[in-house]
Amino acid sequence: MSDSTKRIITLARHEYRSAVRSRILVVLISILVSVTAVSVYIASVDYAGKLADYQAYADAAKNSGLDRIAPSPLAALSLLRAPFEYLEIIGAVIAITLGYLTVSRERSNRTLPLIRSRPVTSGELATGSLLGALGVITTLVGVTATVGVLGVGIIGHDWINATQALQLLLAYIASILYMGAFSCLGAIATAKSRVAANGLMIALGIWLVVVLVLPQIGDTMDADNQIPGGLFKALGLGHDGEVSILTHFTGYERIRTWTEELSLAKHFERFSFAMTDVKERYRPFSLPWLLGQTRNDSGWMVVYSAALYAGLRRALRTQPAIPHGGMQ
Amino acid sequence: MIATVASHQVLSLRRQRVFLAMLATLLTMTALAGVLGWSSHQTIVRVYDEAVKLLAATGKPAPANPFLLKPTLSLLSNMVVYIPLIGALLALIVGHLSIVDDETNGTGRLVFSRQISRTSYVLGKITSAAIILAVVLAASLAVSVVALLVVNRTIAGGDLGRLLLFYALSWLYLMAFALIGMVTVLMTRRRSIALLSAIGAWLVITFVIPQFTSGLRPAQSLNPITDPAGTSQTFFKITAKLRPYSIVEQYKQASGRILQTANAESLDHTITRVMPIAGAAVLLVLLIVRLVQRHDFSRSANSE
Repeated sequence: MSDSTKRIITLARHEYRSAVRSRILVVLISILVSVTAVSVYIASVDYAGKLADYQAYADAAKNSGLDRIAPSPLAALSLLRAPFEYLEIIGAVIAITLGYLTVSRERSNRTLPLIRSRPVTSGELATGSLLGALGVITTLVGVTATVGVLGVGIIGHDWINATQALQLLLAYIASILYMGAFSCLGAIATAKSRVAANGLMIALGIWLVVVLVLPQIGDTMDADNQIPGGLFKALGLGHDGEVSILTHFTGYERIRTWTEELSLAKHFERFSFAMTDVKERYRPFSLPWLLGQTRNDSGWMVVYSAALYAGLRRALRTQPAIPHGGMQ
Repeated sequence: MIATVASHQVLSLRRQRVFLAMLATLLTMTALAGVLGWSSHQTIVRVYDEAVKLLAATGKPAPANPFLLKPTLSLLSNMVVYIPLIGALLALIVGHLSIVDDETNGTGRLVFSRQISRTSYVLGKITSAAIILAVVLAASLAVSVVALLVVNRTIAGGDLGRLLLFYALSWLYLMAFALIGMVTVLMTRRRSIALLSAIGAWLVITFVIPQFTSGLRPAQSLNPITDPAGTSQTFFKITAKLRPYSIVEQYKQASGRILQTANAESLDHTITRVMPIAGAAVLLVLLIVRLVQRHDFSRSANSE
């Protein structure tokens, strides 16, 4: 192991230990895990009832000598929709907090000059800090995943199989990447601000636009979302009719798609929903096909994350070891 | 003395450009709500026309136009989403800055070296937040009226009254969040922890409680039109008792009734929905008064 790698690991361990000591972070993480548990419970109780109904139907059909029994329309992984939405919203706030703490802690403890007095490059500092933050994020995602899978199995009476486990793993890896990007954003905004709390406010402002406003605009512009139950359904049109009509609205749909594509959160949502069978149209297809269909979203997530990591390296390189102008 | 503290705080927020930033954000979001409402409406009408043609070609009868019965104020239905999402966050920041600056700048020590009661001080701070939010929402109301005039060419007196009521309710709702912003500063020692605690409270009120009491997923809070969630489980039979206290749900329901974008209900019922929001604001004022009485303004808050 090279000296640089050792320094990075030391910094990552320091980051991880310091982060888990933060009380506010623990409170936010507790909120996320609690809401995950409750949302999985709510979805699983409902699911267990539907699964029992399907089993009863399947048994009755089998006993009556039917050869062809309709496959179950249920998808166990889709029960994890709300937990992924919470990761998208609250998880991003937690990640910003992690990034904020990375910089503000060293500033307030005045340990940045000490770290800088050692032979540590800004790249090593950025990588170490990010790896530490990713460690915390992975722990958090691991806990929510465990709660989710156990909830679906124990309460929903449907344990996920190996293929589903692989899909879920990919969705959770995407969650880590997504939250890692927001962690970089929190650290960059804080490093660039003279008052750390102002950096936090700026990062939260960007979070508001990326996670809530842009997807909201996209959702509102979706013609089908204008009426409860769906506009096309209300007009008595099926999927083919919807596709046929939308060919007359290519310009409008393009603007809507571009608006949504500006948002990292929307890319994460599309990828994770495809992996967890939330959208019915994705359910019949295999994992390679799903990965092909969502390559645009996974690609954008990688691009955003890489750009923010580069931004973090630059922000930490240009950040003065001793803050100017006092604490305010 | 209350007026002096309030005018000083308003001036301070104006100098920090918080007022300007908040005004710009809320006006942008109001204009955006108008543009989105207009654009969606136009698109849906065109979708309907195309659907009629398509169905006629296949020999099927045309369904009723689902938009014929849409009220004129539905153009602004996105405001019912933007106020709890963006407006509430901005209100948190107004409340947060109202108190935190006195701590971090050491002004609190200076203020209390003068003949001023703590009650007057806190009432002045609350008044300043109330004024800022009222001015910003009044400007937002003006933009809403312009948007309606541009699209519909006219506005009925009744609709204007409904808009006024909606903005009055929105002011009350935002005041609750400005007060939460103040409470978290008074209950914590660090500026950032205060801000994050306020954000945590906002997340719980806006996304978590509606799921616990009504089964609404977080993303459903982003769309003004949502399908009702199934709440027949035993879990919801217990938590539904708390639904009247879910202020975001009550705000959205009452706003929907006022703007006529939701099913009609009696005036008494709508007033009942407003009561928890007013109650929360009153309780928070009492809590702030108590916290300020006991707060040690001699120590300065750490900005980090």
